[in-house]
Amino acid sequence: MAEAEKVEVVIVGAGLAGLACAYHLAAAGLEVLVIERGDFPGSKNVTGGRLYLHPLRSFFPHLWEEAPLERHVTKERLTAMGKGSSVTVELSSERFKEKPYHSHTILRAKFDPWLAERAAQKGAIIVPKSRVDDLLWQEGRVIGIVASEAEIHADVVVAADGAFSFMVEKAGLGKRRKPQDYAVGAKEVIELTSGAIEERFGLSHGEGAAQLFFGSLTEGMFGGGFLYTNIDTISLGVVVGINALMEKEPGFELHRLLDSFKERPEVKPLIEGGHPVEYSAHIVPEGGLESMPQVYGHGILVVGDAAGLALNTGLIVRGMDFALASGALAAQTIMEAKKRNDFSPASLSRYEELLKESFVLKGLETFREVPRFLQNPRLFNLYPQALSESLERLMWIGEEPKEKISTTLWREARRAFRFSAVRDLLRVWRI
Amino acid sequence: MQIVVCLKQIPDLQQIRIKRDTREPVLEGLPFLLGDMDKNALEEAVRIVEQRGGKVTALALGSPKLRDTIKEALAMGADEALLLIDPAFADSDTMTTAKILAKAIEKREYDLILCGEGSTDNYSGQVPSRLAEILGLPQVTYVRQLEFTEGGLRATRDMEEALEIVEVSLPALVSVTSEISEPRLPSLIQILKAAKKPLQEWTSEDLALSAHEVGKEASSLEVISNLAPEQERKNITLEGEVDEVVEQLTDAFTREGVIAR
Amino acid sequence: MAEILVFSEKDEIAFELLSKGRELKEELCLGLAAALLGQEVEGRSSQYFSYGAEKVYLGESALWVDFYVETYAQALQRVAEEGGAQILLLGSTKRGKELASRVAQKLGAGCITDVIGLRLEGDGLVADRYALGGNTVASEVIKTERKVIAVMPKTFEAFPLEDGEGQTVHLDLELPEPRVRVVERRPKEGEAVNVEEAEVLVCIGRGLGAEEDLEMIWELAQALGAEVGCTKTLASDFGWLSEERIVGLSGKKCNPRLYVGIGISGQIQHTVGILGSKIIVAINNDPQAPIFKIADYGIVGDLYEVVPRLAERLTPP
Ligand SMILES: Cc1cc2nc3c(=O)[nH]c(=O)nc-3n(C[C@H](O)[C@H](O)[C@H](O)COP(=O)(O)OP(=O)(O)OC[C@H]3O[C@@H](n4cnc5c(N)ncnc54)[C@H](O)[C@@H]3O)c2cc1C
Ligand SMILES: Cc1cc2nc3c(=O)[nH]c(=O)nc-3n(C[C@H](O)[C@H](O)[C@H](O)COP(=O)(O)OP(=O)(O)OC[C@H]3O[C@@H](n4cnc5c(N)ncnc54)[C@H](O)[C@@H]3O)c2cc1C
Ligand SMILES: Nc1ncnc2c1ncn2[C@@H]1O[C@H](COP(=O)(O)O)[C@@H](O)[C@H]1O
Repeated sequence: MAEAEKVEVVIVGAGLAGLACAYHLAAAGLEVLVIERGDFPGSKNVTGGRLYLHPLRSFFPHLWEEAPLERHVTKERLTAMGKGSSVTVELSSERFKEKPYHSHTILRAKFDPWLAERAAQKGAIIVPKSRVDDLLWQEGRVIGIVASEAEIHADVVVAADGAFSFMVEKAGLGKRRKPQDYAVGAKEVIELTSGAIEERFGLSHGEGAAQLFFGSLTEGMFGGGFLYTNIDTISLGVVVGINALMEKEPGFELHRLLDSFKERPEVKPLIEGGHPVEYSAHIVPEGGLESMPQVYGHGILVVGDAAGLALNTGLIVRGMDFALASGALAAQTIMEAKKRNDFSPASLSRYEELLKESFVLKGLETFREVPRFLQNPRLFNLYPQALSESLERLMWIGEEPKEKISTTLWREARRAFRFSAVRDLLRVWRI
Repeated sequence: MQIVVCLKQIPDLQQIRIKRDTREPVLEGLPFLLGDMDKNALEEAVRIVEQRGGKVTALALGSPKLRDTIKEALAMGADEALLLIDPAFADSDTMTTAKILAKAIEKREYDLILCGEGSTDNYSGQVPSRLAEILGLPQVTYVRQLEFTEGGLRATRDMEEALEIVEVSLPALVSVTSEISEPRLPSLIQILKAAKKPLQEWTSEDLALSAHEVGKEASSLEVISNLAPEQERKNITLEGEVDEVVEQLTDAFTREGVIAR
Repeated sequence: MAEILVFSEKDEIAFELLSKGRELKEELCLGLAAALLGQEVEGRSSQYFSYGAEKVYLGESALWVDFYVETYAQALQRVAEEGGAQILLLGSTKRGKELASRVAQKLGAGCITDVIGLRLEGDGLVADRYALGGNTVASEVIKTERKVIAVMPKTFEAFPLEDGEGQTVHLDLELPEPRVRVVERRPKEGEAVNVEEAEVLVCIGRGLGAEEDLEMIWELAQALGAEVGCTKTLASDFGWLSEERIVGLSGKKCNPRLYVGIGISGQIQHTVGILGSKIIVAINNDPQAPIFKIADYGIVGDLYEVVPRLAERLTPP
């Protein structure tokens, strides 16, 4: 017979969503246990590296001053890659330099342990190196979990176990998962000096750059590349759709894609002389609203990636802000339910309402069409190639007399942008 | 039996990253663990109390992160924790560490004090001896086995050339080697229960120590530099079937002239 | 005159320290003294003079059979205070470390143990020791007036003078009875191994599945003309090899021409013992094993396949 113990709330997973929830509940005096399978919070977590803070401030009013944020982003670059050419647009804006800053780069290996410490200070018990193996049921209600051969009973279980949530599946809250609901990312953290980083990206002290790449780097697959500057490291990675990946020849490795990305002339000089200090790979949910599971059940709530609260536009991956906010809203729901001492679906459905009222579901709603639109391969091979080739022709001065600019453009445009392009364009409009 | 176990929190040394250009260690953000041999000492203390009754107090001096780190000691079976946390204590050397720990121990009743033979990071072995000196206690070091006798303890010391069996009466201070015990892995339930165990915190004020008696100011040591030793290695991975790699390796031996043949 | 005071319960180490002391005393304008504490020490003082001691404090006592540290510490405190010792150089053996800490506390002095290097920089005496579990080497100075420094054995070379003479000071000590009584001493099986001096060193770790399989390691060692060392686990926990063979932080520090690490993960407490190797070879079946980071040649493979083949290949027909 396993030993049993009771707490008020069990949270499965010490990622951002789980920790945010624990932080608020513990601060309100609830008894919270967070169980994490990694060696420490953050040890298994991967992110590209940019956290949008603005939407979050009201959820955690005092938290950000001492947070281990890396650089605030003041420079945005977007690079469309053709096979032998590329086009980069750069946006620098004075507005990005104003406090409070709009977005920051972060490293999870630092950020998550820090947030865990805050939650622990408030009284949450965080237990790493333990995996939750099952849910406990009684008369159709979730009444706790099983982890490391122990049974822990709780009023509410919060599933914060990330993309591919095992808890959602166990609770029967999810829809059937389809490969197109997921992408996979591989990332390296490359060590450089802060001086070199600021010089290479033309940044002032403490400022950061974010660069996104699409086109030939993903070899026609849905996805893209990202580069974020941290204090003295660079986060560099690629994200591709699982569907597209599955169509590749067997044995294709994501890491190879990252390796050739690092060799691209657009990237190589930026990381020259740096040493990789960390490699990681992770799943990104990106089904959007269409593939979200039900986010509450009897005695259970689902937060963060586990609830499919992430967005991948191919260029921008966003999920950390959703994870943090959903954790906070789940905490609010639990506190209200606690007052009523009612953890039925009717009582916990308040969480879904709160999500709908917040930027989380509003944000996802705006991008409702994105996932299907993104399944379109033209975006990742034809258009970037055409764009960079056209510009290349424009700029090239050869021996022959140069044709009129409009002629060049028209020809290029006709090659690339046939009828389907009009359709693609219309869809962009709807987004 | 009232046992005080001194435990030090250590950044996880397996995870230290060394900066390539400056050879500086990056300690920021590393998780903290309890010292290896300190856990051996704690395990021994818990076993003694399980058999003979009494109480185990986990005593630690360190940064505020201790509040979290010490939970492992409580989960392993310590009955209570006593933490010495104060910004003024930062950068205390072995001399001041022993002074502060002694002040705390003096305010307690105890029969036995257990320490590790050396801390996992510093391994100076000074703290236990200095502590015994301040408290005027007999000390037995390098203990790999401990038994109780009528009048006190019988301990097996692990010295370079011999095992030495000694007897001492209580109260005494004992420092242990890793052979003495196998620290238990606490279960989830024990971890949960640990959260409810008593945890007390003292600052310099509680110990009647003034700020210039402790910490960096009172330190007898100054660290001029602390860098990873220079290592230029070839880092060549030999690949292929076993026969091939063996061939490549013997070729390398010849080329490097490292074996006489 | 203020002096440097040397003591170790092992004469060889005292001679190493005296040899270094000769160098330091010139620069610091100090005297050089040694303490000889124990039973029947009288006859040994001439040797101490020949390594450069200008003064030898002789303490004869029947109490000193069992090396009870507290009494040694008391004696050394007195010698240091009466002789005005500024620097105490002790051996960093197990007993020496304990003694150093105790004396330092009695003298209100700062102390550095496990010292692997000592030098004068400016007017300061800088000591090197491993820190952060062996990840780094810290260079430290002691700020108190008196300084206690415990130096690892074999850090300095012992070289005698042509002729050495000095003064003998007999100590009249009143020592308390030891509070710790030795009831038995069981000598460890004294194996005459010297992994520190080996030119070629084969080290084996926990990757080895069973004690019988050591046979294969001995065969490889023989083919290479190597000595066999091991990680702490194999000696202290499993008892398969004697503790004399442990290489690392709490074991031996080695500087072979060739080190071959087999089934060793490469945790820092082991690898600090092999940093002085000219060539490091690692055989491990886990490509992520940290030992590969410090290896010149790495073989990712099962030691049970690689070792016999390698031994065979290296053994002359
Ligand atoms: C390559 C990549 C780039 C990204 N870039 C960005 C970006 O730039 N900006 C942005 O905002 N978002 C980005 N995201 C998305 C963002 O990282 C995620 O949305 C966010 O991490 C989700 O947080 P979470 O807490 O829900 O899940 P996670 O951070 O995945 O945490 C889940 C935790 O649960 C634990 N766990 C799982 N199962 C169990 C179990 N059975 N028992 C115990 N513990 C368990 C895991 O170990 C993990 O610690 C990116 C994602 C990827 C993969
Ligand atoms: C204060 C202190 C001092 C210490 N001092 C020392 C010291 O002086 N010396 C010392 O050695 N340790 C010392 N240790 C212990 C040290 O931390 C490690 O525990 C020890 O070195 C690990 O030994 P290992 O490599 O044999 O075992 P492990 O770390 O368990 O590694 C075994 C390795 O074998 C590999 N392996 C397994 N099977 C095979 C196979 N079939 N073929 C090939 N490879 C295989 C595995 O991949 C693994 O990498 C000390 C610890 C502390 C806390
Ligand atoms: N900060 C500390 N808090 C509690 N105990 C300590 C501390 N530092 C050292 N010790 C104890 O002293 C032993 C030896 O430490 P050291 O002298 O640093 O090698 C450790 O194993 C602990 O038992």
